[in-house]
Amino acid sequence: MRMLSHETKAARTDLPKPTDATNAGATTAHPRGVRKWAVWTFKYGILSLGAVIMILPFADMLIGALRTPAERLARPPVYWPTIPQWHNFIRAFTDLPMLAWLTNSVIVTGSITAVQLATSALAGFALAKYRFRGRNLILRFVLVAQIFPFFLFIIPMFFILRYWPFAGGNDWLGQGGTGLLDSYLALILPFAVSWYGVFLMRQFMMTVPDELLDAARIDGASEFGLFWRIALPLVRPGMVTLGLLVWIYHWNEVIWTMTVTRAAPELQTVTVGIQLLRSEFFDERNQSLQQAALAVSVIPVIVLFLCLQRFYVRGLSMGSLKG
Amino acid sequence: MSPLSLNPAKMLTQKTAPYLFLVPVLLFGLVFFALPLAASLYLSFTSWNSLVAPRWIGSANYEHLFTRDPLFLKTLLNTLVFTVGVVGIGVPASLLLAGVFSRSRYQALWRSIYSLPMVTNVVAVGFIWWFVLADPWGVLNRFLALIGIAGPAWLNDPSTAMIAVVMVFVWMHLGQNMLLFSAGLGAIDESLHEAARIDGAGEARIFWSITLPLLRPTILFVLITSVITAISYFALILVLTEGGPVNSTNVTALYIYGMAFTDLRLGRASAAAYVLLVVIFLVSLLQLRVLRRGGVEAY
Repeated sequence: MRMLSHETKAARTDLPKPTDATNAGATTAHPRGVRKWAVWTFKYGILSLGAVIMILPFADMLIGALRTPAERLARPPVYWPTIPQWHNFIRAFTDLPMLAWLTNSVIVTGSITAVQLATSALAGFALAKYRFRGRNLILRFVLVAQIFPFFLFIIPMFFILRYWPFAGGNDWLGQGGTGLLDSYLALILPFAVSWYGVFLMRQFMMTVPDELLDAARIDGASEFGLFWRIALPLVRPGMVTLGLLVWIYHWNEVIWTMTVTRAAPELQTVTVGIQLLRSEFFDERNQSLQQAALAVSVIPVIVLFLCLQRFYVRGLSMGSLKG
Repeated sequence: MSPLSLNPAKMLTQKTAPYLFLVPVLLFGLVFFALPLAASLYLSFTSWNSLVAPRWIGSANYEHLFTRDPLFLKTLLNTLVFTVGVVGIGVPASLLLAGVFSRSRYQALWRSIYSLPMVTNVVAVGFIWWFVLADPWGVLNRFLALIGIAGPAWLNDPSTAMIAVVMVFVWMHLGQNMLLFSAGLGAIDESLHEAARIDGAGEARIFWSITLPLLRPTILFVLITSVITAISYFALILVLTEGGPVNSTNVTALYIYGMAFTDLRLGRASAAAYVLLVVIFLVSLLQLRVLRRGGVEAY
């Protein structure tokens, strides 16, 4: 044993110095226990500090939501509310069109999620499990298309919906009416497909074994049957992942919805609703109510995420590691 | 039954099925990808206010942006500062956090906490921070006052507004990048670290010589997506400062949005959008080239 370790050491004298230096430092200057303790402190110190920075702004919002207007108007303002005003959360529903906003958010987000899941799963299945002319071209396009940022599409898409033929009083040339702008379709159609979703579902569909599909074909299953009865049940975790990603993204979407619903308040979602309160946010008497409204807009997504977060993490890593 | 029957079940053979499955995606690609890109390229050579027909003016929009619109150039500079700020601070910070996170216990707890900002809508993020930063009664300045520092007016001071916006953006995206990095770290074979440790390498050296090179694909992915996001981003700035004070946080994407939907200069806004797209392409290519040299062939 001693011979062996001696030999190893001798054989390694040509290695760079730092190896030995750090080793010596670890054992003599810092006894093992002290060093371990330092690493532990560093590790959990950083994590805790970051966690506090993550949580504090939310706490500030929740504390703010429980103040009375008088407490906010005092100089200096009272930070800790003497009696928590829980009814501010009820007022967010009675004094603001919160219920209508939430309904719109659910309708729009739910529709986009359902449609994107359908289009992504079908396309992902085709791209993963068939060999056909043009496949590589489409695949490359799906990857490149993800780079095009959304701001590029805001202007032309707005007017494509505006001049949509035979919709909203338009003639066949798209003139005379408002097109699709005053309908839920304006909020849903532009997001019917996401290139990221197609790519992600293709990654999941790759895991479906070809032998299973071939066996079903021999048994007389139709091509759609292969997709519906075999592939889809196997990639159910992938569907949950994509569904969660899409739901969170579109529940939180604000730029497009704000652009389209400026003239159609009855279509406003909760994020646009609280954004349009902006001018009133600066009136200190209303701030508690508005902080309560913010909390209402945030909490459903946080709860959903906390329940399904393992799927979210999986989606993140699938999206970044290309197959 | 004629041989040309339109029975859907019969049309769906192994040859035709992939094309039919791709129909929705291809249609969408035509109407909501190719058509918008072509339309805005055309518009960028016109003058258009959406009320009367577009008027062809050649490259005048592009010339105007670069020669007679100092604000456009200022917004490009602001975009550069914003991008360098959020990537330069956000990426190393999330890498450090991922490093400690992936070796810690109670990961589900940490993950939940660090994910809170990234699942929160940008309007709420903007206002939550507006309340924290707004002077003089924001909680941040109250805290600074406790330790004897007179905090600046953050969002109302042109010299600090960009810093505040960068801080909030980093806060918002920290969790996502941390999770991406920790997924990358998790994919590294732990036995390589063990071997290096047995050979007596210190933790710092292991990090530089083993972890970092193996993490390159993830770093490349996070860098490129972060840079693209940062260059084309404006939602948070719209909520937090609306580009002010005195345009100190006005980035190009926000400037384009206002040009289009407030000033109704749709031709010029389209031209500016294309300029920004070219910038994004060039920066992405540059990053790919530089980082690929290190042996990243995954892309």
